Amino acid sequence: MGVRIYKAPKLVNPVLIACWPGIGNIGIMAVDMLRRMVAAEELGEIESFEFFYPRKVVIKDGELKSLEFPHNKFYFKKTAGKDLLFFIGEEQPTESGGAYAEGIKAYKMANLVVDVAVRFGCKRIYTSGAAVAPIHHTTRSRVWVVPNMSDLLNEVRSYENTILMSEVEGRDGQGNITGLNGLLLGVAKKRGLEAICVMGEIPIYVHGFPIPYPKGSKAVLEVLGVALGLKISVDEVDALIQQSDSEIESVYEKLPPEIKEQLDKLKYVVYSKPPKPITEEDKRKILQEIDKLFKKDAGTD
Amino acid sequence: MTETNSFKLLTRRRFDSSSLVVLWNQDVGRLGPKIADYLTRGLKCKVLAEVSPEGFFSLGGVTVENDVAQFPESKFLGCKNRNLVIFKSDIPRLDWYGFINIILDAAQKYFKIKEIYTVGGMVLPGAHTAQRTVLSVVNSPNMKKKLAAYDVVHNMDYETRDEQRPTFSSYILWAARNRNIPGACLWVPVPFYLMTVEDPQACKKVIELLDEHLKLGINFKDVDSDILELNQKIEQVREQSPELDGYISKLESNLGLTAEEGEKLVKDMDELLRGSHLT
Repeated sequence: MGVRIYKAPKLVNPVLIACWPGIGNIGIMAVDMLRRMVAAEELGEIESFEFFYPRKVVIKDGELKSLEFPHNKFYFKKTAGKDLLFFIGEEQPTESGGAYAEGIKAYKMANLVVDVAVRFGCKRIYTSGAAVAPIHHTTRSRVWVVPNMSDLLNEVRSYENTILMSEVEGRDGQGNITGLNGLLLGVAKKRGLEAICVMGEIPIYVHGFPIPYPKGSKAVLEVLGVALGLKISVDEVDALIQQSDSEIESVYEKLPPEIKEQLDKLKYVVYSKPPKPITEEDKRKILQEIDKLFKKDAGTD
Repeated sequence: MTETNSFKLLTRRRFDSSSLVVLWNQDVGRLGPKIADYLTRGLKCKVLAEVSPEGFFSLGGVTVENDVAQFPESKFLGCKNRNLVIFKSDIPRLDWYGFINIILDAAQKYFKIKEIYTVGGMVLPGAHTAQRTVLSVVNSPNMKKKLAAYDVVHNMDYETRDEQRPTFSSYILWAARNRNIPGACLWVPVPFYLMTVEDPQACKKVIELLDEHLKLGINFKDVDSDILELNQKIEQVREQSPELDGYISKLESNLGLTAEEGEKLVKDMDELLRGSHLT
């Protein structure tokens, strides 16, 4: 029980890029695209039955043929530069039924991922997620970066289009990264491995939409490309952005004019410390309107 | 002790009648982590054991402080050639009594402790130039006698107010008494405007006491250099800002500040002192 590894590739100076689903699927979309882009091979998996409730049963002729659990797979790719190891989890293990990992199962899974990283000689881990930010969906997402060691701050500062928590208005360098994309940073730190979480921005009013936000994924992909020394093709993500832009626009158009007027202010927020264009009360009203809109749409489908 | 998955012994080392010093990562003036740092570097301490965070912390992600992801740690460190064990830890969020029992079980079984000292900072409404005196709270008359030989205030009266809770150090001290382990909480004043940064002067006060009492043979070079650096930095701040200088001068003359003045001093000192290597 635990981890099954099918192959034993000799990896040189590998880096692990790990991700689980989260807000707007920003991280998982970026990491999975990167995995496909480099054509990484399957390496192994974490046995899921210990962590998850099954998601599918196959019964044929009255006989149970199979029971399917969310996948948690490792992949690898040998490259001319740093070799790559990927971990992609389809779900976060949770003990309270929430969307994000927590508790002993989450800690155990994070340790299993780090076990594999250590086994193949990784000294650095990247995780990815979303940063809910006061931005407009027509603007470029930036990437919030959080390392698990202060020695890495200078390096992450050098990545283009990134910001630290201390550069975000009102945060003063503090915050939380919920779920396994955050927890893995902590577990890596405990075990002496460097780790960096890269989080693509998602507009505050979009993070509740039941659709992905590829613009945030593109920003993450670009940062990972630089960090890993990889040439990134953005064609696939650009096509998704086009599609999601039109979906978001169609929802946006249905918003009441006064809400749209508030949200339009975000177009002019160009830096991380804006002159507070939207109050907490405004934010609450906007989210309520969007929620109403989706409930209405769901009823008519 | 009850063997659990929570405690992991990493290095076996023989101890006999050792002293346990408990330091918390969450402390005013970063007292706990800094004292741990001075002691472990100065005495070449090594990690002996750790307590797993499972069951004691939420593990639903990580917190970020000063741009860097944090993770709860709870470890025992042993100092070569000295009968000293340090327990450096985050304060648990859950199952406090279970956590305390793991610490004390391990300390008795593996490190054969004879006494326990916890350290904490208390907010001083005065200036950083004021004389600091350590206050002690003991759990036995014998410990009171032991500490009477030092420059320590040992006759404090205090009761938790309605809206407050006892400190975790008090909780440990009580649990130690129930096991007949003599112990003391050592409280050192930290000026309120250094609460969020660092206060090496307060650290030195505690280390001096531990050094003298436990005969550790500490070299004070590092802490002295940090005190000098902080004092120079505060002097620069005072030269550049007559307003802040005025506030500190008032405190030095034993005059109080208004709430607004106090808040400004805390905020500005935090901004100005952060970024120095001391923080």
